[in-house]
Amino acid sequence: MKIILPDKTIRYQKVPNPVPVEALIRDLGFDPIEVLVARNGTLVTEDALLEESDEIRIIRIAHGG
Amino acid sequence: MAGTVSSTKTPPWSLCTEPAVFHDKRTGRHLCRDHFISDVESRVAETIRGRRLIVPGDHVVIALSGGKDSTALLMILARLLPALEGVTLSAFTIDEGIHGYREDTIRSADELVKKYRLTHTMISFPDLFGGTLDVFLEGREPEACSICGILRRKALNVGAERAGATKLATGHNLDDEAQSVFMNVLRGDLPRLLRDSGSDSQGRFIPRIKPLMFISEKEIAVYLMLHGAWADLPECPYAVHALRGEVRRMLAVLESKHPGTMLHLMESRAQIEAHCDGSLVAEPMRHCAECGDPCSGEICQLCNLKKTL
Repeated sequence: MKIILPDKTIRYQKVPNPVPVEALIRDLGFDPIEVLVARNGTLVTEDALLEESDEIRIIRIAHGG
Repeated sequence: MAGTVSSTKTPPWSLCTEPAVFHDKRTGRHLCRDHFISDVESRVAETIRGRRLIVPGDHVVIALSGGKDSTALLMILARLLPALEGVTLSAFTIDEGIHGYREDTIRSADELVKKYRLTHTMISFPDLFGGTLDVFLEGREPEACSICGILRRKALNVGAERAGATKLATGHNLDDEAQSVFMNVLRGDLPRLLRDSGSDSQGRFIPRIKPLMFISEKEIAVYLMLHGAWADLPECPYAVHALRGEVRRMLAVLESKHPGTMLHLMESRAQIEAHCDGSLVAEPMRHCAECGDPCSGEICQLCNLKKTL
């Protein structure tokens, strides 16, 4: 799976197929309340299932504003 | 797999069959793009209506930093404006002078007000206090949020007065408010827990309103993403020094494990407020011997701080 991290670095990671969004983001060390996840450019919920072929972007919700 | 939703199946508690973009863990609801936007806007409208935050004829000035919360506030208020009788909107931005942080958010604020054709004024710490926050904080970084808070409070009041506003709207969200409740409990400061920023100035300052107080930080981020208005802006470099940062992380973990925690904190405050009936915040308000602003002591926090800058 191609994963774009909040700092824009790209990681290719082997994941169970399918994998729940929440499990993936916890595995990557993020708290679900502090990030959003987009699959192939569209926001998905934490209980959605991701496929190995999906491109995932993780967006950190910065504090302040 | 139990508890998960495939990309093709309509999740339980959905309002329609469109793909869900937000899952409210507290209520179990899955919302598509349109239902989510409508839900956020109607909850803000209900907060405004239920608490009479804005009344016909008000001039509401938005404290627009250009960050996510005030950006969402401006977008939502602009959207609700036609339903608010005779209400005008404008914005002002405070430049505290935080190198590597404020430049981007000010640019973002500038673009936003141009898009919405709002009157926009700027106010800066050097203009008001004779120096930037960066200069004031040299060697005092651990005090950053306390010092900035005192200076910003004054800047907010001056900005609202200069705009000729009747209400000052800030982008404080549910997370901010719940953190404040928790912080005041941790400090043992019950009067401050109950004191509302709009009610402690005996009419001297323009009342502040927080229309996003029941919208979570995550909902605000989703709202902006769905409008293509999300910008990867930097976080304030001084935030690492704040007690709020620790409380924020603690509450984030609690909210994740126990959805509704933040809302429950807000409800606790409302219940304490109802029981106290103002008796804990009834200490007489005095006026600063130096500047005349309302304060609880002889000299206000700002005048005391200025002597040390």
